[in-house]
Amino acid sequence: MAAVTGLVGGDAPALDAAPGKGLKSGALGLVSSVVIGVASTAPAYSLAASLGLVTAAVGLLAPSVMVLAFIPMLFIASAYFYLNRVDPDCGTTFTWVTRAIGPKTGWMAGWGILITDLVVMPSLAQIAGQYTFLLFGANGLANNRFWVGVLGVIWIVVMTAICVIGIELSARTQVGLLGAEIVILAIFAAVALAKVYGSHVARSIHPGWGWLDPFHISSTGALAGAILTAVFIYWGWDTAVTVNEEAKDTKRTPGVAAVLSTLVLVGIYVIVSIAAQAFHGANFLTNNSNDVLGALSRDVFGSGWDKFLVLAVLTSASASTQTTILPAARSALSMSVHKAIPERFGTVHPRYLTPAYATTWFGVFSVVWFVGLSLISNEVLLDSILALGFGIAFYYAMTGYACVIYYRRLLFRNLKNLLFVGLAPLVGALILTWAFLDSIFVYSNPANAAGSQTWFRFIKFNVHVAGIHFYANGLGPPLLIGLGLLVVGLPLMLVWMIRHREFFRHTASHAESLHAAAPPLTPGVSAVTG
Amino acid sequence: MAGDVVLGFDGSAGAQSALGVAVTLARALGAPLAIVFGYEPNPMGGETSDFQNQLKRLGEGFVHAAATEARRLDRDVIVEPIVVGRRPVDALLETATERAARLIVVGSMGELPIVGAILGSVPHKLLHRSRIPVLVVPRPD
Repeated sequence: MAAVTGLVGGDAPALDAAPGKGLKSGALGLVSSVVIGVASTAPAYSLAASLGLVTAAVGLLAPSVMVLAFIPMLFIASAYFYLNRVDPDCGTTFTWVTRAIGPKTGWMAGWGILITDLVVMPSLAQIAGQYTFLLFGANGLANNRFWVGVLGVIWIVVMTAICVIGIELSARTQVGLLGAEIVILAIFAAVALAKVYGSHVARSIHPGWGWLDPFHISSTGALAGAILTAVFIYWGWDTAVTVNEEAKDTKRTPGVAAVLSTLVLVGIYVIVSIAAQAFHGANFLTNNSNDVLGALSRDVFGSGWDKFLVLAVLTSASASTQTTILPAARSALSMSVHKAIPERFGTVHPRYLTPAYATTWFGVFSVVWFVGLSLISNEVLLDSILALGFGIAFYYAMTGYACVIYYRRLLFRNLKNLLFVGLAPLVGALILTWAFLDSIFVYSNPANAAGSQTWFRFIKFNVHVAGIHFYANGLGPPLLIGLGLLVVGLPLMLVWMIRHREFFRHTASHAESLHAAAPPLTPGVSAVTG
Repeated sequence: MAGDVVLGFDGSAGAQSALGVAVTLARALGAPLAIVFGYEPNPMGGETSDFQNQLKRLGEGFVHAAATEARRLDRDVIVEPIVVGRRPVDALLETATERAARLIVVGSMGELPIVGAILGSVPHKLLHRSRIPVLVVPRPD
């Protein structure tokens, strides 16, 4: 940090010393890259929010889903890596899809990012509220919808303010917090397993290799649902891949950082899910899906020590909230710069140097959405996580397709291109597309959303077409939230199209090189790189 | 270009005061005046390029306005506006080292110490890290 050697070149025109597109000055070391990737994924929070939902779908096979869901993630990360390399734009998928496929699809992809970030906020707020009460031993209040809601709103407001003002933790503090989170999770798993093998724990089961075998999952519907849920736990990992491009040693660091963060994440998820279900069985996790780690922690650690795990969930949730609000505001900023949404969203606050306008509005929408959902849904957490799966699957799949389409001329140049630029993104996108479509039918049956709430009961059908069973009996909240918010984007886009043509004059292009920086996205210019 | 006076400028009231003092000092020392704006987005939260471009544009607006103002105050002083894609403190220290500067001048926000501790105070960090003299100019009341 103390190095003060020349980035500002002596007599050279100094304004050019500032980074332009694709030329980063904020070099990140290996540790920082891994930390940002893992902290953005937020393992403790992700487990707290979703472990019970995965066991609800597949029972004791949860660990196998933890591994399986990583595969599409890994494949899509390859798309992120190659697209980001030529166009490191903070609009990410929005910009890339606009480039590769066209402005309308690109606009919808950008919308997908924004609403996905919005949909995760109630879950973060809910977890933050509950675990704050658990931290202070107010276990009764942790189950009180009203007070959890109040604390959740405060959480969103405070975290938004932090992002608006631009308060940052030092790199060292972040490493410390994340390290503590991982160590606590590891100790939790170790103590739980030691007790399972060492002493007699009620309802405990000894782990078996079968838990890692996804071929035992009973139905494809359960598998699709579980993958959609588990995709959420790896959400944010792609940040590790993209920020790595800024790493100090670009030849080595990106690959090593991606591999390291992968091992850390998959390791944590598999080991903790094995330990958790070994301790009290899968049903305990399903029944306590709202505060699964809090409930387990009390039994595993006993009173007092259990607070460490609660604290880990809270620091994890705060990192996750930050890595939701920051990219959401930056996506909006990027869309605004490209004239896809109003100009105000692209402004930077002169004092705080943050996209304060976009950030504030994101906070406002998050509070409205959280309060609204808390009023109408019995299962805020459950509905949010499941709905989130739709959003993530949508825009990740779009990223995969964009990569294949954008680099179509280069795919058959060599085997490496074919595998990493073509096949991996395509297969990842296809898996997510399948999980997305299959889950529509799974969640159009409200019985499959554990909340069992049903909205729009008049929508009823049950038909077999070409051997596929289509049915609906009212609509479950996850489907309505997930798909509904995506669909709302269509009329909004049309309104914007009528009023502001400029963005929609972009035309799709393709790449002639994997390395040359893509030309600026300019309306009406079909630019080809290389 | 050695012996510059380096001014940190972010458009705030404190920075405006510092600008006046820096011009006077540069004149008295017969030194060039480097007017610096530094920025670096939070690396948490992924990709930043459009955001960086917006910050760069904002910073260029600040330092060019400041340079115009400095030349108006004293047209004999050599003024150079500089935007650096680094955190403000690093930007100032790097520019100062690069130019073997005699002095770094910054304005203070005039906020409570606790606020500075939470929001991050450039003068405070500079005082601890700089190897050359730092002059902190209070904002006008």
